[in-house]
Amino acid sequence: MTVTARTTTASAGVLDQDQLGHLKHWDDLSRRLPHDWSLMQGKGAGEDDFGSYRFQLAYMVYGLALAHRHRLPAAPGLFRPTIQRLVEKLLMPDVWLYWRDVSRGGMVMNAHLSDGYHEEWDPVVRDNIMYSAYVQSCSLLHDHLFADDRYAQPGALTFEHWSFFWGGEPKRFVYDRETLNEHLYWQMVQNGYLGIACEPNCVFQICNQPAILGFRLHDVITGGDRATEVVAGYQQAWADFGRLDDTGHYNQMILEDSRVVRPNALQAPWVDAWCGALMNTWNHDFVHEHYPRQVADFLEPGPDGTLSVRSTPAMEVMGQTVVNDTCDLGWVAAWASEMGDHATLDGVLAHADRFMAPTWRDGALYYPRNDTKTDAEGHRTEIEPMTGNVLLGYARLNVPDGLHELYQHPWGPEHFAEPALTEVGRDVEVSRAEVVDGVLHARLRRRGVEDGLEDDGAVVLGRVPEGARLRVDGQEVAATPVAEGLRLDVPAGPAHDVELVP
Amino acid sequence: MSAPTGRPTRVAFALVDHDGHPVTLEDHRGSWLLVQFGFTSCRVVCPRALTKLSAALDELGPLAAQVRPLYVSVDPERDTPSVMRAFLTASYPRFTGLTGTPEQVEAAKDAFRVFARRRPDPEDPDGYAVPHTAITYLVGPDGELARHWPDTATASTIAADLADVLRPSGGHGTPHA
Repeated sequence: MTVTARTTTASAGVLDQDQLGHLKHWDDLSRRLPHDWSLMQGKGAGEDDFGSYRFQLAYMVYGLALAHRHRLPAAPGLFRPTIQRLVEKLLMPDVWLYWRDVSRGGMVMNAHLSDGYHEEWDPVVRDNIMYSAYVQSCSLLHDHLFADDRYAQPGALTFEHWSFFWGGEPKRFVYDRETLNEHLYWQMVQNGYLGIACEPNCVFQICNQPAILGFRLHDVITGGDRATEVVAGYQQAWADFGRLDDTGHYNQMILEDSRVVRPNALQAPWVDAWCGALMNTWNHDFVHEHYPRQVADFLEPGPDGTLSVRSTPAMEVMGQTVVNDTCDLGWVAAWASEMGDHATLDGVLAHADRFMAPTWRDGALYYPRNDTKTDAEGHRTEIEPMTGNVLLGYARLNVPDGLHELYQHPWGPEHFAEPALTEVGRDVEVSRAEVVDGVLHARLRRRGVEDGLEDDGAVVLGRVPEGARLRVDGQEVAATPVAEGLRLDVPAGPAHDVELVP
Repeated sequence: MSAPTGRPTRVAFALVDHDGHPVTLEDHRGSWLLVQFGFTSCRVVCPRALTKLSAALDELGPLAAQVRPLYVSVDPERDTPSVMRAFLTASYPRFTGLTGTPEQVEAAKDAFRVFARRRPDPEDPDGYAVPHTAITYLVGPDGELARHWPDTATASTIAADLADVLRPSGGHGTPHA
């Protein structure tokens, strides 16, 4: 079943400065040199926890996908290269080498199973859905949104590592969009659709949602219907345990061997928020029904309409304090954006703007990591890179039911026939790009050296209808014909309104 | 190093048929196998699937002669050869039942990547059921998995897909399992 998006007649609007600042920050992070993770390092060691690079990279891709799908649908040239760079980083060994150790088992809840596991270098071959589903879904998001088969090429998703200093032979695991999707599907089948484990034996509800999104996108691209099958199986499998715990919050995970369900016992905000934001793709009514009561348990009113999010105390296990970037506030913001709960979203963003040191650098907006829990007055100041780099931007750029719409009404061939900005110079800011009633509307500003950028200030308009006229600020202008369409040199100064009229 | 796809390909098995004869995949080389896993005490999923597959084979007409329908037990403790024979001949005579030792059944499940797990069921006379994967598999004459259908596939869909594969112009190799 494929239901595609309807032709847009309502305007997607113009991005505001904060939204543009988040996009610029994501573009900047995507251009970091290999192994430079500046501003992205969280509290935990070893890429084990919820603030890891893989999550930051993947949710930047998701945020870009949402922004492209709903905010700037006629700007593939803006989003495509950034998503490609982020996927390239997602494949880097810095991001997945943790699996060599985590695959051995031995986490506190599963210490009795350690003998049954072995060191596994291939990061997607068994369990580890907390990584593999993001490689799968991000590559499929790219190929869906840009009608491309980039990641279907043999070896397009290859995991490689070799060190001169240790580890022996080179490690190389060759996948592509098709083989990875196939592999995850059959793991789902063999697990009775309950889901694929993250750490050995631990099947989280949250981490299987991206895989379901991936199956859906794969169906859209290839014409299959596996998402329907997997969702039906998932519903049936979890019916035995319940998606919610006794208090009405999402069950966190199930232990594969014992079939013991672990509830959200501490009522940790991230468990509900992350799960709800993603599960809304296919389970809209259920997620919306439970959201108001769930979110109310997490919010803390502050001054002037600000809303903070409480975090639960860190777990103490075996005499150790568990170090984890929970990203509670960021996930609640992302969840509220998906639920269309403007009051909560605005309140949380207002809190972040007031107490979490919004920082502008070269036109980019982020909230730097702060490990201090509160200020002197008790207002939450603690913020993780995942929240400050990614989730607050995600929440600002998402629209109500943004992921749900992306899942339920994917773009069809008609979208890819419309004119669009197919190339965007790095120094061009795009705050509007959409086709309304056949007219391509764009709002473009040439960034200056104040944003740390210098490029050619050009965009290319592709899929240009025969005889179409180009206007800048209402005046017809001549553009340079190029192979893909028309090249426009964006004039300096403030933002310009560009129209391509058929 | 190329990575595995996870898709079952080598679906070898060594089981016992419902007449008590040992049987392996090799014994069926050259035939198309329509394979369904289940257990005879199953109250909903198996009767529905076996009825549907029987209807699909009826719809297929003479081409159905090229297909060997197999029903593999995931409950070997209860599903002895004689129990399977009685169950199938009474209601689903097209099917041959396969069972075996728990180890043999486990190996077959693993080869097909089938999920099945015993759990308490107060409505069952023996107090347990075995929820299981309800996928239907088609194994080609070369012993490779040719395709599969989810539980939601209709009899007509399966019949049409089988006809595509079995007609002289079709042939093995429908790769989109």
